[in-house]
Amino acid sequence: MNRRKRRISTIRRLHRSLGAAAAVFILFMVISGMVINHSNGLGLDQRHVSQAFLLNWYGLGAPEHIRGFPVGDDWIIFAGSQLFLNDRQVSTVANGIGAVFNNHMLIAASNDELLLLDSSGQLIERQPWGPPEAGPIESIGLLADGTVVVKSTGQLWLADAELLGWQPAKETISELAWSTSKPAPQPLLQNITQQYRGEGLSVERLLLDFHSGRIFGPLGVFIYDLLALAVGFLSISGLVLWVRGKRNGKGNNGDR
Amino acid sequence: MSKALKKIFLLVIIVSMPCLVVAATVYETHTEFIDRAFSGTPPEPDVVWLSGARKSSVRDLLGHDYAALRLRYWCQSERSAWVLDEIGKELPITVGVVVERNYIKSLRVLTYRENRGGEVSTPAFTDQFNGVALTPDDSLDQTIDGITGATLSVRALSRLATVALYLHADSGCKNES
Repeated sequence: MNRRKRRISTIRRLHRSLGAAAAVFILFMVISGMVINHSNGLGLDQRHVSQAFLLNWYGLGAPEHIRGFPVGDDWIIFAGSQLFLNDRQVSTVANGIGAVFNNHMLIAASNDELLLLDSSGQLIERQPWGPPEAGPIESIGLLADGTVVVKSTGQLWLADAELLGWQPAKETISELAWSTSKPAPQPLLQNITQQYRGEGLSVERLLLDFHSGRIFGPLGVFIYDLLALAVGFLSISGLVLWVRGKRNGKGNNGDR
Repeated sequence: MSKALKKIFLLVIIVSMPCLVVAATVYETHTEFIDRAFSGTPPEPDVVWLSGARKSSVRDLLGHDYAALRLRYWCQSERSAWVLDEIGKELPITVGVVVERNYIKSLRVLTYRENRGGEVSTPAFTDQFNGVALTPDDSLDQTIDGITGATLSVRALSRLATVALYLHADSGCKNES
C-alpha cells in the first residue's frame, strides 16, 4: 500500500514539474502553429528577416564570391547564386564566369548555362550549355562583328545571330575580346550585398524552423522530440492521476 | 563564459550547419529528357516567343508572366517536348512535358529545388498527367489528385501542364521532322 502511495506521489511530482516545464513549450507550439497555418494570408512568406544576427545564424552573410563584368554602360554582377544587372536582381545562376553585350542581348554565362537578357534585364531565355561533345564553359567573349564566342575545353564555339545554335570554330580567330572581371563601383557592391542578405530568409521559413526545432539543427529536433515525449507523458500521467483520484474519491464516499 | 559552455555552443553551431543547406535535386538533365522524348533521335529545336496575344494567354494560364520571353521546343511527328520552369513556393521547379496530338504523353520533374513538397517528382504523381488534354476553356480535362503538404508544387505542375498543352496547339506542331 505504501509502495503504491509512493508511486502515485512520484507520478504527481513528475506531472507537476514536467507540466510546468512544458507549459511554455506547448504555448509556443500552439501560437506558432496557428500563425504558420495562416502564413500565406498574413503575407509572412513575402516578408523577409533583416536582423543581422539571424541572417548570420543562417549563414546568410555577404555573398562568398562577387564578380562584376562591365557590359556597355551597365554591370552584370554575379553575387553568390544571384545575377544582377546593375543593382537589380534579375535571375539566379551558379558559377558565373562572364558576360557580354552583342548590341542585341546581354549574355551572362556560367559553367553550364547561358542566360540571355534584354537591355532592361528581362530574361529572354535560360539556355543550358548544349553541344553534347563540349565540356563546361570556360570563358565567353565577342568577335568584332558581335558574334558571341564560348571557350569550352580548349575549343571555341560560335553562336548564330539569335543565339539558337552553336558551331565549333574551324579557323583561327583573331580580334576576339574575352569578358574579364573588373572591380565594380563600391556603392553598387554595397547595395547588392544588402539585397543578397535581405532576400534570403522569409519570416515564414524562420517560424517553420522554430516550430520544428530545426533552427537549432539536429540537436534542436532531438530536444523537441524529448519535449514531445514529455507532453505524451503528461497526458498519460494526468489520466492515471485522474483515475486514481476518482477511485480514492469513491472509496472516501464509501467510508462515509 | 566557461570553456565547457563555449565548446557546447560551438558544437551546436557545427551540428546545425548541414540542415541549413538546401540543394537542388536533378532527376533528369535537359539532354536526357529530350533524348528520351524522341527515342534518342531528337529533332533540331524550334523557338516560340512569348509576345503579344501568346504572352497574354500564358499569363492567364499561369496567373503571372512567364519568367522568360522565348522558349525552345522540339517537334517531330505531332509530338513536341517542352522544358518549363514555374515557382512552387519560393524556387523554380523545372519540368519536362511531352505532348502528342494535343494530349500529354509524359510529364516529369527534371529539377526540384524547394526543400518541401518533393513528392511531386515521383512517377506515381506525375503519371496522373498522362493522357490529359485541354478543355475548350483552357483547363485540364482530368482532375489531378493533390498531395498534402505539396499543394503549391502540385498547382505549379498543373499550370505548366496547361501551358505546355496550349503552346503545343499554338505552335502548330505537326508532321515536322
